[in-house]
Amino acid sequence: MSEEPVFDLSVKASLENLQEIRLFIERVGAFLVVNESALDDLRLAVDEAVTNVVIHGYKETEGIVELHMHAEGDAVFIRIRDRAASFDPSQVKAPQLDTELKDRPFGGMGIFLIRKMTDEAEFLPLPGGGNEIRLVKRGVIQTDTSDSLV
Amino acid sequence: MTTLNFMVGQEQGNVPVTVLRVEGDIDAATHKSLHDKAAEIIEAGSTHILLDLGGVNYMGSAGFRAIHAISNMLNDGDTPGTMKSAHLKLLSPTDAVARVIKTLGFDVYLDIYQDRGEAINSF
Repeated sequence: MSEEPVFDLSVKASLENLQEIRLFIERVGAFLVVNESALDDLRLAVDEAVTNVVIHGYKETEGIVELHMHAEGDAVFIRIRDRAASFDPSQVKAPQLDTELKDRPFGGMGIFLIRKMTDEAEFLPLPGGGNEIRLVKRGVIQTDTSDSLV
Repeated sequence: MTTLNFMVGQEQGNVPVTVLRVEGDIDAATHKSLHDKAAEIIEAGSTHILLDLGGVNYMGSAGFRAIHAISNMLNDGDTPGTMKSAHLKLLSPTDAVARVIKTLGFDVYLDIYQDRGEAINSF
């Protein structure tokens, strides 16, 4: 039985590194042959998650964010870890999408998008401090059916 | 770090229209430059802006925050009979950006065009 490859990235948690993090998701996603629209969704979810880590977690002070990405079957799993203050997404107000733009308060779009763009999004405190975000998107990789076609 | 590039053009529809083309990724690191560029244009007298997103490969919630602020800066009034902005419209978003526009409900309030001429004449 062959092991599924795993991909890791550890970078300084800063807004300047968001592009590098998106490139990591794009390159690994391409290697895993994730379909294009699903890869767009994962890129967005991870960008929003790391943005929250930088702004609300580390509050733009120094810190590290670690990304781990792998596939199992037709699903992609992404894990994002930080050592920032604990974060409770339930405290974030959802955006008021049914309110006219001019009357709509700012904020809440990031967490909303993370949940919309994935099948599972878990926000967990890490023992000893920090947070782990687990993202799953299923049915996004064309599994090999060539054996049945021979 | 990414930076945004801007191109600004003036067009005449039923009213004068400023076309603001953005190139680059609009994320939490870059969104303020879009906000500031639009503020500069509005300060200079523009009242109708067509935001050309054809050169934007990626836009996260920070980009929508900027668009929301631009809409507010234009002192938006709705087009009579609709909830759509009469002052801010979007041109040529990529498929990925268009899907997020819909997910966040911005398409209810902002018209989206693929054809530049049609967009300009719609103001």
